[in-house]
Amino acid sequence: MSLPGLQLSASDEPVLSAVVHHLTEGSEWRFEVAFGSTVEIKLLSGNAELFGTELAQKQTYSFSGTKAAIYTWHGCTIEVAGECQVEYLAEETPMISYANLHFALERKRDEAVSTGQDGPRVLVLGPEDAGKTSLVKLLTAYATRSGRQPVTVNLDPKEGILSVPGSLSAVTFSSILDVEEGWGSSPVNGPSPIPVMLPLVYYYGQANPDSGDRIYKPIVTRLAVAVLSKLQDDRHVGSSGCLIDTPGAISQGKGGYDIIQHIVSEFSVNVLVVVGSERLYSDMLRRFNGQPIGIGETTTVIKLDRSGGSVDRDEDFLRRSRKAQFLRYFYGDPKMELHPRTTECDFSHVTIYRVPNTTSDFLASLLPGGEAEDDAATQRLIYEKVVPSPQMQNGILAVVQADGNDTPEHIRDASVIGFVQITEVDEKRKKLRILPPIGLQLPRRALIWGSWPSDLGELVR
Amino acid sequence: MSVAHNSDQVVEDYKSSLLDLTQNNKHEINLLTVIASEYIGKAVELSRVLETHIRNVPPDRKLPAFYVLDSIAKNVGGAYTRCLGQNLYHTFMNAYASVQAPIRKKLDEMVKTWKEPVPGSTDMRPVFPVEITRPIETNLIKFRTLAFQAAQQQQRQQGPPMSHMMSQPYAAAAPPSEWQNTATPPQSNGYYPPPNTQGYPQPNGVPQRSSYPSNNQFPHPQPTPPNFQPPYQPPNPNTYPYQPPPMQDLNALHRDIENLISTTKLEFAARHWDTGLQTKLKALLDLQSIMRNQQLPPNQIQAIRDQVSQLAQTQPPATPTPGMPPSSMLPPNPVPTPTAFAFYAPPSSTSQPPADIQRLLDSNALAEILASAARAKQSTPVQSAAPSIPPPTNPPPVTSLPQPDRTSTPSSNTTSLLANLKALGMLMPDTSTPNGAMPTSQPSSGFPLSHHNYSNTPPMRSSHLARPPLQEIRNDVELNNSSLKIPRPDLVKAKLFDARPNQCSTCAQRFEATEEGKKKKARHLDWHFRTNRRLAESAGAQHNRDWYVDEREWIKSRDNHDEDPDAADGAGSVQAKAAAEAAKNDPKNKFVIAPDDAALRNVPCPICHEKFELSWDDAAQNFVWRDAIDVGSKVYWHASCHAEVKKDRANTPMRTATPDSVLGKRKAGMSDLNAVPLKVPRSPALSSASMVSVAASTV
Ligand SMILES: [Zn+2]
Ligand SMILES: [Zn+2]
Repeated sequence: MSLPGLQLSASDEPVLSAVVHHLTEGSEWRFEVAFGSTVEIKLLSGNAELFGTELAQKQTYSFSGTKAAIYTWHGCTIEVAGECQVEYLAEETPMISYANLHFALERKRDEAVSTGQDGPRVLVLGPEDAGKTSLVKLLTAYATRSGRQPVTVNLDPKEGILSVPGSLSAVTFSSILDVEEGWGSSPVNGPSPIPVMLPLVYYYGQANPDSGDRIYKPIVTRLAVAVLSKLQDDRHVGSSGCLIDTPGAISQGKGGYDIIQHIVSEFSVNVLVVVGSERLYSDMLRRFNGQPIGIGETTTVIKLDRSGGSVDRDEDFLRRSRKAQFLRYFYGDPKMELHPRTTECDFSHVTIYRVPNTTSDFLASLLPGGEAEDDAATQRLIYEKVVPSPQMQNGILAVVQADGNDTPEHIRDASVIGFVQITEVDEKRKKLRILPPIGLQLPRRALIWGSWPSDLGELVR
Repeated sequence: MSVAHNSDQVVEDYKSSLLDLTQNNKHEINLLTVIASEYIGKAVELSRVLETHIRNVPPDRKLPAFYVLDSIAKNVGGAYTRCLGQNLYHTFMNAYASVQAPIRKKLDEMVKTWKEPVPGSTDMRPVFPVEITRPIETNLIKFRTLAFQAAQQQQRQQGPPMSHMMSQPYAAAAPPSEWQNTATPPQSNGYYPPPNTQGYPQPNGVPQRSSYPSNNQFPHPQPTPPNFQPPYQPPNPNTYPYQPPPMQDLNALHRDIENLISTTKLEFAARHWDTGLQTKLKALLDLQSIMRNQQLPPNQIQAIRDQVSQLAQTQPPATPTPGMPPSSMLPPNPVPTPTAFAFYAPPSSTSQPPADIQRLLDSNALAEILASAARAKQSTPVQSAAPSIPPPTNPPPVTSLPQPDRTSTPSSNTTSLLANLKALGMLMPDTSTPNGAMPTSQPSSGFPLSHHNYSNTPPMRSSHLARPPLQEIRNDVELNNSSLKIPRPDLVKAKLFDARPNQCSTCAQRFEATEEGKKKKARHLDWHFRTNRRLAESAGAQHNRDWYVDEREWIKSRDNHDEDPDAADGAGSVQAKAAAEAAKNDPKNKFVIAPDDAALRNVPCPICHEKFELSWDDAAQNFVWRDAIDVGSKVYWHASCHAEVKKDRANTPMRTATPDSVLGKRKAGMSDLNAVPLKVPRSPALSSASMVSVAASTV
C-alpha cells in the first residue's frame, strides 16, 4: 500500500559519519570544505561561534565551499559529519585582541549615544587574505550581539557582501548574521528562513580598484554619502557607526594609498585597523594617526595580528566562490530556492555601457605611438556605449537606477537595482536572451557591462 | 452518472464508510485516515464529504466524525489541512452549537491540540494555522462565558436561565450516560499514534524541509487573543458525571480561579463603582494569565492554591468549589491525562511551602507579585496557552523541576516571576544558570562523555558565582595596541554572553533579561514561527530575488525585524506602518471602554445577540469590551459582527492572507519596473550635506 505524503525522507539521505570534537576554551577548529561536498556541524554543548555569530545548540549547519573556523570562548563540543579538505584544532588565535577591539569600539558607541555624535567609522586594511573580511564580519556580529546596528560597507569588489562580485555595497545589520552563508540574504519576494538584509549596491565591474580610473573613487564617494546620510537619519545606526572592508590591492602602496586617503576622508574614518602587515601599519601610522577628522576628533591607527586561520585562497577556489555567489543571487540556496526564468528582448530595448578594461587599456597605452593621447582618452572615458555582441554571452549586466540617456557620470553614480546575465546574443534577429532575477522583462534602465568577472560561464539552470 | 470514474467511486465509498462510523471506533477512524492519505489527490472532494457528513449526522455522531477530521489533519496533513481548514470554522461552530456539554468538552480539547504541532513530529507548525483556530477559540470563549453566566444566574435566581440562553441546549441537561465510558481514540491530548500498520514513519505527511533544521525545541509561540480565556471552563461543574481525578488538581486550580473571576465579574457588574472589587478582579485576571502562560514550580502553585481557596471561602458560595486535595494526597506518579493542561508542573508531593509562605498569603505580597508579573505579561505576548504535555511514551519527569531550557518557549516571564518570588524570599534558589556559557573551570582536555546532558543540566559553578556582578565589570579597553592585547575573560563573558542571557534556540540570537529583551525575544520567536508557517505554506511557490532598493529607500529603511513583527522581512518602515494600520483595523483589536451603566452592560450585540466580554486592559487602565465598537448613541456592536455586516453589504471578497513579503508587496509590479519613477537625486555634484537635506526633507 502506498501512502503518499507519509514516506520518510530521511532514509534517502547519505549516511555521514559524525566525529565529535572537544574544543577547549579560547581555541578554534579550522576547517575547509570543497565545493561540491557538504559538511554538517552541530554544536552539542557549550558555546561556539563562527566569525562572531553564535551557533545554536543541536541545530545542524551545512557548509560547502567554505574556509572557516569555529571558535569557542568557554569550551564546546561539536559534531562534524562529512569530509573536510582540511581540519585542525588551533589554540593560538588573535581573538582576544579582536574582541578587545570590539570593546574599544563599544566605548566609542556609548560615547556617541550620549553625545549624539556618530559612532566609530572603522576602516580595515591589510594585504590579500589577511582575514580582513573575517574581522569585519566578527566586528559586525559582535556589534549586533551588543544590540547595535552598524552599517557594514564593502569596498572590495572581489567580495560582494550581500551582492555579487564586482559590486560595492553597504548593509545595516540589525540581527545576527547567517552562519552558513556568511552574511545573509538580500530580499526575495517570499518568506525567508533567515532575516533578509537590505543592501545598497553600486557597480564597479572590475576586480581591483584603480586610482586612475574615473569610477572607483566616485562610487566610493557616492556610497560614503549614502552611509553618512544613513548614520544621520537613524540615530541608532548613527551611534553604532560603520565598519569598512577594503580590497587587499589598495594596501600594496603606490596608487593604493591615494585610494585609502580618499576613503578616510569620504567616510570620516576615525579608527584605522591594519591587519597583518607591519609595514602598512607604520605607513598608515605616519599618514593618519592623530590626523584631525571632523570637529574635535582624530584618527587612531591600530594594528592587529592576522589569524593563522586566514589561508590563501587559490584562484580556483576564488573562481568557484564567485560563481557560487552569482548562483546564490539568481537561484538562492537550499534554504530558499529561487526560480528566475530567462526572457528575450530586442537590441533596441537596451542601452549598454561597457566598463573599460583597465588592464587592456593600460597595455594599449604601452603600444608605440601616441600613448599620451591614449592616456588622456582613458582618463576621460568613464563608459563606452556598446551594442550587443556575441562576446557578451554569459556576461553580467548591472541594471542601475538611471536612464539610458543619462550622462555617464550619472549612470556611474546610480545605485544598482539588480543584475542580469546575457545568455544568448542573436545578431540576426537582433534579440538578446537574458536571465533577470525576477520578472520577465528587463527594466528600461541603463545597463553596465562589467569586465570582471568574465569567467562565470553559463548560470542558467 | 455517465462517467463513473474510479475516483468518484472513492468519494462515494468514503461517504458510506463515514455513515458506518457511529461511535469512536479507533480502528475505523484509522482506516478512514489511511484511505484519505491514499487519495490525497482527492483531498478537496473527500474533505467536502467529511464536512457534509459532520453537518448532516445527528449530534451524537458528530464527535467520531470530528476524530476522523482531526486524525487526517494530524497524520496526513498537506492538502487536507488546507481543504479542511477552509470551512473549519463553520463546520466546527455549527457542530459545537448542536452537541451536548460533554461532547463540547471533547471538542474543546481537540481545538487545543490544533493550535499545537503534532506531538512527536518534527514539523513545528500547528495542526491548523492560527488564523483558523483563533476565531473558533474566540467564539468558544464567548460560549463558555455565556454558559457560565447563565448557570450562575440560574443558581442565584433559582430559576430558568435567561430567555436568550434557552435556545442553547446544553447548560442543564445531564449528559447521556454512554459518554461516561466511551473510550475515546485520542490517547493523549487528541493525538493518535499513527495506525501501526506498515510504515507510518512520520505522523505528519508534510515533507520535511531539509533546509530548516528540525528541532524539537523549536519555539512556537501561539499568538492568542489578549483576553484568551482558560483552556476549559465547564459550564457547570455539577452537571459533570465524573469527579476530576486528583491529579488534575492544576485543572481544578484553573477552574477555581476561573470561578472566582466569573463571580467577581458578576459582582463587579452589579457594583462597578467598587474599586476594591476592581482591584481584586484585576489581580485574579492577572493571576490567571500567569498560571496559563508560565510554568510555575510546585511550591508556588501550592501558594497560589492556598491563596485561591482562601479567597474562595470569603466569596459568596455562588459556585461549588471542588475541594482541593491536600498535597499529601497527590499521587506520586502523575500520568498524562487527556485533559489539556495549560501547563505541566509536577505536583509537589514532597516539597513543603517555605516557612514564610504567609507573606504570600498576605494580600499585599500577592499584589506585589501580581503587579510585577503583570508588567512582565504586558511585555510579552501570550506565548502558548496550549499544553506542553509530554507524549505518552515519555513519562513526565517526576522528581525534577521543569528545566527552564527544556522547552524553548519558556519562560522569560517565569524567570522574572521567579526572581520576584526569590526576592520576596518565597522561593528556594534554583540551580538553573543562563545558558550559553560553559564552565570555565572545565579542564581543557576531556569533557565528560555525557556532554548531551551537560548542556541541559549545567552544574552550579562556584567560579560563576564568585564573579562580580555585571555592572561592576567595566569596559576599560583603550584603543591602542597594548590595551588590545590584554585578555579580559570577565569582560567577554559579561558583555558577549551574560548581558544577553536569553538565547533563541533556533538561531542563537541573544536577548537581554529585561522586559524589553523579553518583548524582543517574543517577537523574534514569533517571527520564526510565522516565517516557518509561511515557508511551509508557500512550499512549491516560485520565489525570486527582489530588485535592490535605491538610495533614498535604503536610507529610510529601518530593518529591525525584532522591533516590529510586521516588518519581519527586514523591510522598511512604510510597510511596517501599513501592517500596523492593518492590525489596527482588524476588528479583533478594537475595543471600547465598558459602559458604567449596569443596564447598558447587559445589552447584547444586536447582530449576534451575544453579550460583550468584559476584560481588563492595562493600556487603557479600564475595563473594556474587546472586539467591540460604538456605532453611536450608546449602541454597541461586536467589531467583528460590524465588519461582517459591512463586508456582506459591500459583497467584497474575503481578505486574503498577507502577501509573502513586504518587499514583495512593495515590488508587486516590479517586473514592470518601467512604471516606477526614477528616484535618484539628480544633482551630479552631490554633497553629503545636500544628500542629508534631501533625506531629511522626506520625513
Ligand atoms: Zn531565532
Ligand atoms: Zn455580535
